[in-house]
Amino acid sequence: MRINPMVKKDIKVQARSMRCCWEIFVYEAIMAVVFFFAMFLFSQQMTYSSANIYSSIVWLYPALAVTQIFILGVVVPVRTASAISGEKERQTFDIMMTTSMTGFSIIMGKVLTAMIQSMFYVVAGLPIVALAFVIGGLSWGNLFWFLAVSLLVSFVSASIGILCSSICKKTISAIILSYGIYALLFIGSFLPYLVTTVVRLSGGVPEKSCWVLLVNPGMYLLEFFTWSMTGTSVAEELITNYGKTFSVSGAAVHYGWMAVSTLLFVALAFVFLLIAMRRINPMAGYGRKHAGGKQHG
Amino acid sequence: MLQISHLYKNYGKFQAVRDLNLHVPKGDLFGFVGPNGAGKTTTIRMVCGLMPPTEGTITIHGVDALLHPKEIKKQIGYVPDFFGVYDNLKVSEYMDFYGSMYRMTSREIAAVSNDLLELVNLSDKKEVYVDTLSRGMKQRLCVARALIHNPSLLVLDEPNSGLDPRARVEMKELLQNLRSMGKTIVISSHILSELAEMCNSIGIMDHGKLVEAGNIEDVMEHVFGGNRIVVSVHGEMEPAVRMLKEHPQIRVESVGEKEIHISHAMKEEEIAQLIAQMIQNGIIVTGFYKEEGNLESLFMQLTGGQEDEN
Repeated sequence: MRINPMVKKDIKVQARSMRCCWEIFVYEAIMAVVFFFAMFLFSQQMTYSSANIYSSIVWLYPALAVTQIFILGVVVPVRTASAISGEKERQTFDIMMTTSMTGFSIIMGKVLTAMIQSMFYVVAGLPIVALAFVIGGLSWGNLFWFLAVSLLVSFVSASIGILCSSICKKTISAIILSYGIYALLFIGSFLPYLVTTVVRLSGGVPEKSCWVLLVNPGMYLLEFFTWSMTGTSVAEELITNYGKTFSVSGAAVHYGWMAVSTLLFVALAFVFLLIAMRRINPMAGYGRKHAGGKQHG
Repeated sequence: MLQISHLYKNYGKFQAVRDLNLHVPKGDLFGFVGPNGAGKTTTIRMVCGLMPPTEGTITIHGVDALLHPKEIKKQIGYVPDFFGVYDNLKVSEYMDFYGSMYRMTSREIAAVSNDLLELVNLSDKKEVYVDTLSRGMKQRLCVARALIHNPSLLVLDEPNSGLDPRARVEMKELLQNLRSMGKTIVISSHILSELAEMCNSIGIMDHGKLVEAGNIEDVMEHVFGGNRIVVSVHGEMEPAVRMLKEHPQIRVESVGEKEIHISHAMKEEEIAQLIAQMIQNGIIVTGFYKEEGNLESLFMQLTGGQEDEN
């Protein structure tokens, strides 16, 4: 099997650097701190309650998982924001563009690298997360879906980072723009819902703005973790608030919401990558425009 | 081999390249010369598919480079003016990375890369990290990298800038070796003397226009006309200048402290008669020789003296 040269090179170069070791060290340290802090809170809670500590320990899973996904969400755009702009700053981008590598191969190579690096973190953090599974009574299914969501977060974050990297000349500008797009996704998709909720509560006519939340990463994670932990669907509750009743079970609403939301995020990521591919190709559109022009005269 | 026709590149109202027409035959070592902002790098970037032109065509081996960039990329090896490196990558891995970018197998890369590293005198540096190499070594490695897919056209943008004299000589020898191997090489440089020694043809660019191009000797002949003479005089210059100015077939180009530069339209025997007349008139002629143009004077004449500083 032929490995994308970008992936091979980037992984090799980064794995050799001290930065990689430090990043994993800091990541593990943060996970450990969250673990001990959560355990501390649980033990404090048990001091004033007659409940069994094991009923609380199950909440270690969302605490650690959310921390992990938050770190991925923060780190992946930083890494990918330098993917193209870093090559430009290093002045290796032009050489790359004169080789037989297509824009698609370059972009996909950078995305794959980011996803593999994310998996380094996820795998490195597994022993700590596993504690929540061992003593928290969570299933293998939870672990599988958690890994799948981590991959999705990495993919979407990487696509945002790559897009910004292809737009900005400087890495720092690309990082800032990446977080700007994040803010747009988190806050921008939440605002219509917030406005219509205020309208609805003050007696106005409710709009069906809750569908915008399908592209809200916060809502996606909330639905995922609430379902995993309590078996209730936030999406169902949300839609019911707007007067819509379902003849299907809560599970169907949950899986339906998650499936549509996942597809939308994947589609959005592909749109970002397509724009990035076009941005990095200096001759994009030239052939079509000029070949067409020649045909017409 | 490389044919550029009516090439234009505009940035808004500014024309970086204007109506550039150029033909570089197979096996030529072509030197691009021009002051900063003349349009050399822009032209090179367009040839390598790194920038679309506003107008015009570029063909390599008869294939339109702008419409078929994928095919052309296999034919071109590009060496930029600045050598960017990846930290933590060894020389052999660097070659392997670029080889695999041309879809070569590991076996093919290993075979070619060994030969190329030997050619550029870096075979003992295979396991050395690229960022620890000297600038000259990096530049030679960059040439080896550009040759990994055996391109027929090698394009180098200011390969000698920032190199020490020894590294420049090594680079010159390397390029001459490559030319003897049948590669067509296009090189842009500020260092005219090196281009004169290295290249067999040149193109002089100024303000986006190719002001002169062709075989070095032909260009010299064309610009200087092959009819320039330097007359060295001992003593008073005035009578000699007056006499030459009065001659109907002579134009005095410049007058120095002891030399008069003239251009003429005379035959050999008429020139001999002129020397005799000057001596008869009491002018002490200490020298009378055909002016040999050099690349520097050619460049200065064509670009109005805007030579780059190194």
